[in-house]
Amino acid sequence: MRVVVTRSIARPGRTWQPVLLIALTVIGTAAISVWKPTALVYGVQRAGLYAAVAIPMALILGIVHIVNLAHGELMMVAAYLSYFAARLLGLDPFVSLVPVAVVMAIFGLLVYLLTVKHALKAPELNQLILTFGLAIALSQTVNLMFTSQSWKLSLGYVSASATVGDVSFGVFDFVYVAAAIALAAGLQLFLKRTRMGKAALAVGQNPRGAAIVGIDVGKTYAFVFALAVGLVGGVGSLFLAKQAIFPMVGGPYTMKSFCLVAMAGVGNIVGILYCSLALGLAESIIDGIRGYAGWSNMVFFVIIIATILVRSWRERKV
Amino acid sequence: MTKAVRRFLPVVVIAAAVVFPFMAGPYPLAVAQSVLISMALAVSWDMLLRSGQISFGIAGFFGIGAYGAALTTLKLSASPIISILLAGACSAAVAFMLGFVILRLRKVYFAITTLALAEIFQVIIHNWGDFTGGPEGIVLPSLIFNGDARSLYWLALASVLLACALSALFQRSRLRFALTAVRNNEVSARSSGIAIFSYLMIAFVTTSFLQGIIGGIHVQIYGYASPDSVFDANYTLLPLAMALLGGTYSTPGPVLGAVLLGVASEYLKLKIPYGHLVVYGIIIVLVILLLPAGLYGQYRKRVKARAAHA
Repeated sequence: MRVVVTRSIARPGRTWQPVLLIALTVIGTAAISVWKPTALVYGVQRAGLYAAVAIPMALILGIVHIVNLAHGELMMVAAYLSYFAARLLGLDPFVSLVPVAVVMAIFGLLVYLLTVKHALKAPELNQLILTFGLAIALSQTVNLMFTSQSWKLSLGYVSASATVGDVSFGVFDFVYVAAAIALAAGLQLFLKRTRMGKAALAVGQNPRGAAIVGIDVGKTYAFVFALAVGLVGGVGSLFLAKQAIFPMVGGPYTMKSFCLVAMAGVGNIVGILYCSLALGLAESIIDGIRGYAGWSNMVFFVIIIATILVRSWRERKV
Repeated sequence: MTKAVRRFLPVVVIAAAVVFPFMAGPYPLAVAQSVLISMALAVSWDMLLRSGQISFGIAGFFGIGAYGAALTTLKLSASPIISILLAGACSAAVAFMLGFVILRLRKVYFAITTLALAEIFQVIIHNWGDFTGGPEGIVLPSLIFNGDARSLYWLALASVLLACALSALFQRSRLRFALTAVRNNEVSARSSGIAIFSYLMIAFVTTSFLQGIIGGIHVQIYGYASPDSVFDANYTLLPLAMALLGGTYSTPGPVLGAVLLGVASEYLKLKIPYGHLVVYGIIIVLVILLLPAGLYGQYRKRVKARAAHA
């Protein structure tokens, strides 16, 4: 038992490698059997969106050690805010991104102070049920206020396309790829270079030790939670630019984000980029096979089961 | 509460529930019937929770049961009661096969995977159109008992009694100690020689069997199953909130919670037709923060404290 624990702490980020290998092999064979270059492009774009949503969740899980089942719902709320900014104030989602992120950070801080903070010492199951309740409360409040109808902005620039050789594809979604990479890089810099970031990292590794050396653990938790909600709020604004929004739109993203974070290993932000790539490509290739488009939602389920099995198999071998 | 009262209270409650249709009009009867369905689900959810594994997949096994009953009625022309039992068997079989994989997962991983299950089942049923009727769903040719409201109510009541009986059996047998030990400390449970996997499997298959039966009853009552209707997330949300409010790790807790929330939600449904579910979300949050033991748990605590005091 002891060996297992040391091993997983010593190499926190390696669990995704075998899974990724399997996933890429499967994807490779699938890609060869139904060669569609557009599937690859759309897979990369989809991966960008998944990673951009998942990275803030990884931040909360890695430092506050809370699985936030309301993660996708927070993104949904941000998308609605951004929608109203566009409709009432005429703001483009790329402009309202910053104010929405700030508002969401404040909202995240409130959520933390009112609910999550009081469950930090509670059993893990209670925390899970709490954030599940939050997710329901958020999505149903939006449902109550704006009905379950789906809304969409029609922006001209999202249908921009490019042609390479004889293949033409939409390019707007590369925004998500850029956002994901920027988030990953920015967080790495924040956690490694800034005073606050280093403190957050220390709290994430060992809250008691961090408290002993004089870090205010409570404040750090609050800050990280608010920061993560703010970031996912910004992503929600970008999400709105292209996608239709409705109260239940966030749910699948919560599950997929968790799947990616689990696959990458807690605390491994760069790993999320690779894992999203595997998930995004797999989904978009299955979507590309005629007659099987509906099955792509099963991919992440297979991946999460495979991840856990590979992990338990590796641990048993030790 | 004295011992005599405690022994007779369940009998009185059951007797009252059985004769209820003779005293109530059609509307209260219909409400009671839907409350009973959620109540049975709430009890079954709590049974697995006692092992420390939280399932967000109630709707999944409920839906499998619903489709199991609908398909066996249509394709095998099974009689309604047989089809309900077969529905339970379907769910139990699926749970048994999946159990080998997902019962190796713990806590968060288990919870998220079960959350995904409902969606996965829905995708399969949705896309397997030739066999399951696809997105349009299945309409049964006739209702059970020709749709007689009282018989339907008793059928729903029977599912609650079955759930409560199994739950009481869980509480009185060695299963209780095994599951509690797993919940409190799995490592020490394992080192005390408890066959954790077998006990979890028993709990998982039993609760899925129950949820399948309830799904089967649901479909026989309403005569209709579609991927969107029977895998609705409400079948996870309502029982969960009911069990939490009433008090987990017990049989009376979920029953109490179901009565309170079921009646309250019926009232709210009339006031706010869309989005009355927000109340469930808020109740879940408030219960976890303010009353983690639930109403019945709080009552038990007080009784214990008084006993210690006296």
